[in-house]
This record gives sequence, structure tokens and C-alpha cells, in this order.
Amino acid sequence: MAELTIRQVRKSYGAMEVLHGIDLDIEKGEFMVFVGPSGCGKSTLLRSIAGLEDITSGELRIEGQLMNHVPPSKRGIAMVFQSYALYPHMTVRDNMAFGMKIAGMKKPEIEQRIRHAADILQLGAYLDRHPKALSGGQRQRVAIGRAIVRDPRVFLFDEPLSNLDAALRVATRIEIAKLKQAMPDTTMIYVTHDQVEAMTLADRIVVLKDGYVEQVGAPKELYRCPRNMFVAQFIGSPAMNIIEGRIVHNGGDHVTVEHAAKGTAEIALHMEEEVIGRSVRMGVRPEDLSLADDGPHIFSGTIDHIEHLGEVQLVHLDVGLSNQAVIAKLAGLLDLARGDQIRLRTAATSLHLFDDQGERLNGPAGG
Amino acid sequence: MTMPAPASQAAPANIWSTLARAVLLGFLLCLGILVIYPLLWMALSGFKTNSQIFSAPFDLPTGFSWANYVAAWNQGVRSFLFSSIVVTAASAACTVLISAWTAYGLTRTRMPAKPVITALILGGMMLSPTVALIPLVRMMQSIGLYNTHWALIILYTAFRIPFTTFLIRAYMLELPSDLDEAARMDGASDGQIFWRIMLPLCRPIIVSSVILHILFAWNEYLFAMIFTSDLDVQTLPVGLTSLMAKHGTNYAQVFAAMTISALPIVILFFLMQRYFIRGLTEGIGK
Ligand SMILES: Nc1ncnc2c1ncn2[C@@H]1O[C@H](COP(=O)(O)OP(=O)(O)O)[C@@H](O)[C@H]1O
Ligand SMILES: [Mg+2]
Repeated sequence: MAELTIRQVRKSYGAMEVLHGIDLDIEKGEFMVFVGPSGCGKSTLLRSIAGLEDITSGELRIEGQLMNHVPPSKRGIAMVFQSYALYPHMTVRDNMAFGMKIAGMKKPEIEQRIRHAADILQLGAYLDRHPKALSGGQRQRVAIGRAIVRDPRVFLFDEPLSNLDAALRVATRIEIAKLKQAMPDTTMIYVTHDQVEAMTLADRIVVLKDGYVEQVGAPKELYRCPRNMFVAQFIGSPAMNIIEGRIVHNGGDHVTVEHAAKGTAEIALHMEEEVIGRSVRMGVRPEDLSLADDGPHIFSGTIDHIEHLGEVQLVHLDVGLSNQAVIAKLAGLLDLARGDQIRLRTAATSLHLFDDQGERLNGPAGG
Repeated sequence: MTMPAPASQAAPANIWSTLARAVLLGFLLCLGILVIYPLLWMALSGFKTNSQIFSAPFDLPTGFSWANYVAAWNQGVRSFLFSSIVVTAASAACTVLISAWTAYGLTRTRMPAKPVITALILGGMMLSPTVALIPLVRMMQSIGLYNTHWALIILYTAFRIPFTTFLIRAYMLELPSDLDEAARMDGASDGQIFWRIMLPLCRPIIVSSVILHILFAWNEYLFAMIFTSDLDVQTLPVGLTSLMAKHGTNYAQVFAAMTISALPIVILFFLMQRYFIRGLTEGIGK
């Protein structure tokens, strides 16, 4: 049975509904990441699970028990806040001990748990300091330590890395991944707006948009087989190129699309119905594009701009569309310059096809 | 030879800014003297005899004899001071604790009709004490608290809660709610969150509120005059008036008594200067 089940959960603030009937099952020991643009309701969903917000309707169960009206501290949950929310007037030790003291735990037991957490997080030297006297990364670790000592079944993180600088963010991300490995039975739910964090940390990702679940799945699954255009463009960086087009031929195991950038593309897709003339959107990831010397190609145009990242270069290709360039991620060694005319090709199996509502029609083979 | 040129250019500006600063300094000095001199004069006059005060009002006292201070102390100032301290301390504690708890409720709980309740409580600031005076006298008489310290403690608390709640509530609204949410996740009850998280976090505004309340209660005259009649329950402002009525001609002793009554506030000011200034800016709605 799932550790955490969410059924038709809705949340309104006054007349404004923020979550519109969320359904989710989270398995025991899973690292689940909620990702989505700012304001999509990630924090609200997390806080509803924590019990800091009452859900307006629907059910929340942990290990089968209905949790809707159970106070936060009785849910077996610990939370790491975005701001860390360390008590500024208490030392690191007291910050960690606060919850245990309130629960009436014995002194030696409290001390032992604090020492254990301090060992894991390398906080031993800072136990008698106040949060003021710690760096951002250390505060972050104290916040995690305060959650660890509670020995929770479910661990919640709300954008825990967003207050750290770039280098520290990567280091802390790795520490969190290791922490998860060290606690295999603990379920973790992690909120972020950063798809890289989501991809690198998650067992499974929930993509949210405007209070709806867009897709749930393993990182690879979301990357290879996005259910709709939103997920397709949200996961992966730079975002997937999407071009409007029309189906002009159905060849049984593939269809041919004539797209707005004055080219055609063959897409591996089996369609039964009458599809000729149907308007569609074609998606291709920048990393799936490569130079097509004289062979068949799907795009041709002038290089408008190049961003060199060393190992790769991001080539912005003007394909004759007024509002949109096609971005290709090409090897950094290729000798390209602004103004060059180039052609791009891709495999028929790496093209994604969406209908005019943005819903997926195909998958790359195997997806 | 490049140095003199900028110097001569800068000179006029320098003169004006120095002058402006000198004028400002002089002005502040005058203001300071204006405020401090009468106080000092009062304290020094307490060391003179009555005839000296009239013959040489601006001379320094010939000797520092504590006779007037001792006499004033024994003439009732001791009991007034005691009453003032009791009434001020008790009402300060009650006012600030009740207000802080109210502010916590108004900012951190999900009670229904919160805006209405907030308006109702803060609306108390509009109530003029003079208007309520007669019913209050009747009420205090009928519950038997008239002419006791309790009367003043209750009235000061009641009349200062709206303003103090207003101050603390504004401060609590600014505090991020993460901390009390973290405490809630840690299993703390409302009482524990209030005592162990919110009150420590609100320390600056609590101290300011206490100071503002002390300033009010120490100097309050109207209620003190109307609700107390016996010397042993009268506070300093009222007590001093009655002392003056009795020893109206012995100015030296009256000055000594006044000095004693002003002293606690002056000491408090020097101890808590930092908070005092913040308290006052907070009080004018900064
Ligand atoms: N306490 C609140 N009252 C009213 N609206 C809120 C409240 N908290 C969040 N919202 C709204 O709910 C939506 C989702 O917010 P949130 O869950 O914080 O988004 P995010 O995905 O960025 O964490 C936002 O539009 C926000 O304005
Ligand atoms: Mg958020």
C-alpha cells in the first residue's frame, strides 16, 4: 500500500481555488519531487500534506489513516522550510531539541539524537552557536537536522536550495541525494521550480501547473514521453522546440508533417484514423538535432546567434518564423559562425507530435 | 602646485557648512538647556532652605543637606512612590501580556470574523476616558474597588490595551509565519508557541510597549485623582498635589518630593535609552 495517498484534494483561499482535485500515490521510501512554475500550487500542496493548511475537500491518507484533521505534529512528518525557519533566539542544539522537549522526551535520548544528526550533517562544532552566526549552508543543514531528529516517516522540503548561491546549491543537492540514500525507508517530498533539481533528485516527478497535475512519472519518462506540450517544454533545458504544422501524408508506420518553417518531417507514428490535413505541433529537443550536410533535413536557415558553453554550443537558427528561432545543441568543436546557412536533421523517432490542444499524439519509439 | 586651487574653491562651501553646523549645535544646546535646566534647578532647590530659594534662586545650594528629601520622603512620598510602583508595574505587566496574547490571536489564529474583532478592539483607542468617567466611578464603587490600587490597575490596563495591542499586532504581522509554523510542526501548542517563540521574537516591541505604558501610568493624573481618596493609595502625581496643598509654602520640600518622583523615570531612561527612542518612534506610528 502506498505510504501517502491523495484523493481529489482541493484547496481554496476564499473564492479562489488553488488546487483543483489532485490525485497522487506516493510509495514508501520514494523521493518524490513536485515541480512547476512559481505560483502553480506546489507549496500549497506540500503545506496541505504537512497539515499547515486545511484542505477544502478530498482525502489525505498516510499509511491508510485519514489525516485531514490530524494536527501537523501527529502526522509523522517533518518539514524543511524555504527560509529554514530556525528559531533565532535558540542555539543550534535547542533548535533541534525544541520538538523533542515538547514531546516530553528524556534528556539522554534527546542528546543522543542530536549527536546522531550532528554527525550526519557535520554540525558537531556548531551546536552551541545561534543561527545568526552560521553561514547559509550551515543553517540549511541545521534545518535538515531539526527534521532528522524527529525521525519522521515523511520528510518535506520546500525549495530548500533557493536561498543558496549556485556552487553551494549543487553541493547541497548532492548532500540531499546522499541523505536520501542513508534513509532508504523515509519518504521524501521535495518542492522546487527548478527542473534540473527535479531531474537529478527524483525517483518520480509530479509536474504541476495552475493547480492541476500535468504528469507524474520517472525523470526519464517525462523527458522522453511528455504527455503534453507544457511538460515537454518544462522538462529539459533549453526547452523543446515546438513548431506548428499540418499532416500531409500517412504512410502507415509514419506520418509526414509539413511545418511552418517551410520544411517537412517524417515522424514514426502509426495512426488509424483519417489524419491528412489535421493541424498539429511538432516538437524536437535541441539535443536531438544535428547537422545535415546534404541529406534530408527538417530545418534550414541562417544562424542568428550562438551561445558557447564549451563542450556544446547552442545555435539559434532563424528559420523564417517571425517570433521564434529553432535552438539546436551542437558539439562545441563544430566551426560555426553567425550568418552561416545550415540544415538540421533528426531521427524520425525523436520527433514529438502534439495535437492542437497540446496533448501528445505519439512517442519516440520505446517511449 | 595643484593643491591650493581646489582648497580655495572648497573654502567658501566649508565655511557655510561649518557655520550651519555651529548654528544647529547652538540651537540643540539651547533646547537641551531649556529642558534640563529646570529639572536641575528643581533638584538643586531641594537642597536649599525655603528662604534661600527666594533670596538667591539661581545660586548653587550652600551645602548638600538631605533634610528636605528626608522630610518629603517621610511626609508621604514614600507611600506615593510605593503606590506608583505597584500600580505602574502591575498594570504594565497586565497590559502588555494581555495585549500580546490578543495580538497573537489576531494575527496567528483562524478565528471567524477577525476583521470585526480587530476593529472592535482597536476601536477602543477612540474612547475618551473622560466620557466613561461617571459610569466607571459607579462601577468601581459597586464592586468595592473604589479607592484601591486595583481600581487604577484595572483602568490603566483596560484603557491601554487597544493601543498596546495595535503596536504589538503591527509587529507580529511583519514577523514571518514560518517560525510559528515550524513550532507547530514540532508539536507546540498555541500557549507554547506564544511563550517560547513569539514573545522572545517580539522582545523589541514588548520592551517598547512596556516603556510607553510606564510613561503613561507613572504620570497619569485624571483616573488617579478620581479613583483614589486616601493618602496611602494615592500615586505620585496626585500625592504631590496634595503635598503641595498641605505644605504650599515649603517650596524646598516640594521640590525635593518632585525630584524623588521624577528620578525613577530618569534612571529608567538612561538604562533603556535605546528602547526608549524606538518605543517613541513606534508610538507615533513611524
Ligand atoms: N494564504 C494564501 N491566501 C491566498 N492565496 C494564496 C495563499 N497562499 C498561496 N496563495 C495563492 O495560491 C497560489 C499557489 O501558491 P503556492 O502554492 O505558494 O505556489 P508555489 O507553486 O509557487 O509554491 C498562488 O496563486 C498564490 O497566490
Ligand atoms: Mg512555493
